[in-house]
Amino acid sequence: MATIAVPLGAQGEQIEAEAVQRPALSEYLRWSVDHKIIGVQYGVSAFLFFMIGGAMAMLIRLELWTPELDVMVSGAAYNSLFTIHGTIMIFLFIIPMWAAFGNFVVPLQLGAKDMAFPWLNAFAFWLIPPAAVVVLLGYFVSPAEAGWTSYPPLSTLFSGDGQTLWALGAHLLGISSIMGSINFIVTIFNMRPPEMTIWRMPLLCWAVLATSIIAVMATPFLAGALTLLLLDRVAGTTFFDAAGGGDVLLWQNIFWFYSHPAVYIMVLPGMGVLSEVLSVHSRKPVFGYRMVGLSSMGIAFVGFTVWAHHMFTSLQPELRIPFMITTMIIAVPTGIKMFSWLGTIWGGKIRFTSAMLFALGFLSLFVIGGISGVMLAALPFDIHVHDTYFVVSHFHFVLFGGSVFAVYAALYHWFPKVTGRMMNERLGRIHFLFTYFGFLFTFFPMHVVGMLGMPRRVAVYVEAFQPWNQLISFSAFVLGFSSFIVIYNVIKSYYHGPVAGANPWRALTLEWQTTSPPPATNFADDPIPFENPYGYGTEAAAAYLDVVDEAFSGGNGSP
Amino acid sequence: MENTRSNIPSISPAAVVVTAVFLLVSVIGINWFATYVPVVLPEQASAESKSVDELFYILMIIGGVVFFLIQGMLLISVIAFRARPGDDSDGPTYQGNPLLEIVWTIIPAMVVVFLAVVSYNIWTQNSEPKASVNLVDGSSISINVTGARYAWTHQYVTERFDDNGGQIVINSGADLHTYIGQNVDLTLQTQDVIHSYWVPAMRVKQDLLPGDPAQGGRPTELRFTPVRVEGRAYPAEYPIVCAELCGDGHGRMRGTVIVYEDESQFLDQFYEPAIYAILNPPADPVLRGEMEVQNYICNSCHILDSLGWTSTTGPSLNGIAERAGERVPGQSAEEYIATSIWNSGAFRVPGYDQQMAAFGPDVVEAGNVMSPEQLYSIVAYLCTQGESSDCDMENASTTIPDAIQTVFGYEVDITFGMESDESAETPDAEAEAADESA
Repeated sequence: MATIAVPLGAQGEQIEAEAVQRPALSEYLRWSVDHKIIGVQYGVSAFLFFMIGGAMAMLIRLELWTPELDVMVSGAAYNSLFTIHGTIMIFLFIIPMWAAFGNFVVPLQLGAKDMAFPWLNAFAFWLIPPAAVVVLLGYFVSPAEAGWTSYPPLSTLFSGDGQTLWALGAHLLGISSIMGSINFIVTIFNMRPPEMTIWRMPLLCWAVLATSIIAVMATPFLAGALTLLLLDRVAGTTFFDAAGGGDVLLWQNIFWFYSHPAVYIMVLPGMGVLSEVLSVHSRKPVFGYRMVGLSSMGIAFVGFTVWAHHMFTSLQPELRIPFMITTMIIAVPTGIKMFSWLGTIWGGKIRFTSAMLFALGFLSLFVIGGISGVMLAALPFDIHVHDTYFVVSHFHFVLFGGSVFAVYAALYHWFPKVTGRMMNERLGRIHFLFTYFGFLFTFFPMHVVGMLGMPRRVAVYVEAFQPWNQLISFSAFVLGFSSFIVIYNVIKSYYHGPVAGANPWRALTLEWQTTSPPPATNFADDPIPFENPYGYGTEAAAAYLDVVDEAFSGGNGSP
Repeated sequence: MENTRSNIPSISPAAVVVTAVFLLVSVIGINWFATYVPVVLPEQASAESKSVDELFYILMIIGGVVFFLIQGMLLISVIAFRARPGDDSDGPTYQGNPLLEIVWTIIPAMVVVFLAVVSYNIWTQNSEPKASVNLVDGSSISINVTGARYAWTHQYVTERFDDNGGQIVINSGADLHTYIGQNVDLTLQTQDVIHSYWVPAMRVKQDLLPGDPAQGGRPTELRFTPVRVEGRAYPAEYPIVCAELCGDGHGRMRGTVIVYEDESQFLDQFYEPAIYAILNPPADPVLRGEMEVQNYICNSCHILDSLGWTSTTGPSLNGIAERAGERVPGQSAEEYIATSIWNSGAFRVPGYDQQMAAFGPDVVEAGNVMSPEQLYSIVAYLCTQGESSDCDMENASTTIPDAIQTVFGYEVDITFGMESDESAETPDAEAEAADESA
């Protein structure tokens, strides 16, 4: 490129004049339509729920230290514990956590001043606290104990009122998710700068777009299933009651028609984060940009055709084969992503920042989740390990080794943009080591106990599995401890971290072409995106970044 | 988009060494894994388990290749392509390679097709209906499995008949009895929620689905064929596990598959003695009661040390004979036990939910039909559970019907002992009779 795009028009000095202040902490506690405030509201509350759900996981592992029921008062109490653990982690942690990063980063990456519907955005967030209260109240009333999957008739004829509250809470969270997703779709399609065609859009936006399309299409099915469940519970209908002509498999079909795509709602944004982080921190363009973007759409589409693999042991035998095949096909677009990421870092100049470490950790762990996913798709083998600890291991590899590692990568990557301060890299590395090895030794052995014969969701087990379970529990406590390192790091860095400046990573996407934190309207003037969001290694890119550095080299970004 | 392949730095010697070490470790790791594979899977106790494990090995080999390929490339990358200290420059502008992208789309797609075909073949082979199932003594019988919170019950509907022409049904509780080479075909039905019948050693699993009882429920099927396991003493035992969350006692819902060496061992040690016991119930009500009480799923909720019951869902039955007389004013011990079994709703022990099935004729549920004689003998047995007993079994054949009349409002007739008095035989004579019939 001969011409060098100047990102900021002529208003560089203007920004220099007014140093941007961080919002007061009280801003975060009240109604705000600023997407940056809402993003932080989502993020902090989701992390709070992560800690609550994590504490429950610690209790679960404490109970499983011995083969007997000793920590919990009854099997039912244990059942409600993992029910709420799963519900919190899925509906109150991962999904809102991606809404957090989506909210904060996507409008900035698009050079937009806010989301398309700021008020709807705030409303979607403020549905979460009442929903959380309803779900958690249910835990203290007469807890739901049918697992987060709530299979009837256990969840209809054999459960207490907590199950009703659980369904109401999940309903509210579904509404919140739909509203947030509509907002993302409209924002991404309409608020890009004219220079940014869809093929020049950052891959996080691609991933959030694919995720939002899934959420808008699938979540209404959850709403439908929950409505039928509520009617069965409170209005005397018999949708799922065989004695009244209902069918228990109806629930499983509708529920998984939402909940399998929901797995991709939980992991696709993480994959978008990975594309950003790997490219920026290895100083190399994303390998096969179009295929990475399109594979998100491919996963979203195929993800709708695989739901019944969750029902391999209950589904009519003749229907099992087609779902085995569709499930295996999902491995292809996922493989494209894995290989493209490896192609991205291959030959680059890798900076081992904490964000990069977590992104590399994602690659190394997600591949295990992918392999066990294909194993689970293989019907005859699945019959053996269905509903065992093998499955527990698989989905934690995907949702913790995948999503949570991506959440941490995103946190270390965008924390400077959100707060204007850098995080402590040494603590970040320690955090990574504890998390990576704690995770590996918690969840890898679960494959083995599952294959040996330990079903999931049990508080008591045969003595032969105790050594395995003690290894798992010990590692789980290490993993639990690791989250305090990052909390300490966040608090410490928020107040005492080095000033970040506008673009500490020298990244090309637009969120870095403004102050840290960005001003209320994000950009002083309409920003001009670089021709390629990942065009590292060219003179044009270096010149573009130099202009940005110069424009913000004053007192900007200092809170 | 410019492709500047030449910009990619060459791989350093350090990376080559580390990668070589890594590959060596991988090979050793695969060998180690292959040696210890039996440790990660249970014994192969069925024909199905062999083919499922073959699929597992194929999956492990392909998965292993993918695993080591990706981890190896990651390892090379982080060593060879790390930014050296002081190097602030960017990497090469290398944006993709369509040929490579096609390759890594096509190859996984082909691998997936291969895996699907292999899995499909193993699946059809394992799920194919067999010609002669549940073969016992030359005829195919039905084996019904009932799941109820939190116990398994196995019923053998035999081709034998009692003196009145009634078909004999053996109830073997939580144990499934079978023998090597028998094509087992179980009919599964749940009484309450969804359960899942899993025998890890056989690699089979099937959910039990609630259906409309008026239409015979919604039976599902499970098939497997036990095979000989080298080094095993027979009869061999394998656990049955409930794999679908069914409530409080889900983890305790277990059973045992007992595999006999051949059909004659199966007949001698299980089938014939069970039929004999049904045809010739013990004359002593206490012994008869001990046998009868194990035909119901009482063990899924109650503790009773003398029979090895451990469930804590319901009140303990240890020492029940000492307490029974004090529960309900106006009811003697044997009256209380009898009415509580007949319909547990008659009196609820404080601190426990109403969960127990009813057995009386007004609330008959599938599989729960209990005759007044069975009730009498079970009461007689439970009246022996305790240091002392408040029961008065002398007149129980009139006091129990009276109590049932008072509480539930209908008449029952207990003739226990009157019939058996006539046919009372010495144990020796019974044994001889058994030999003759066999």
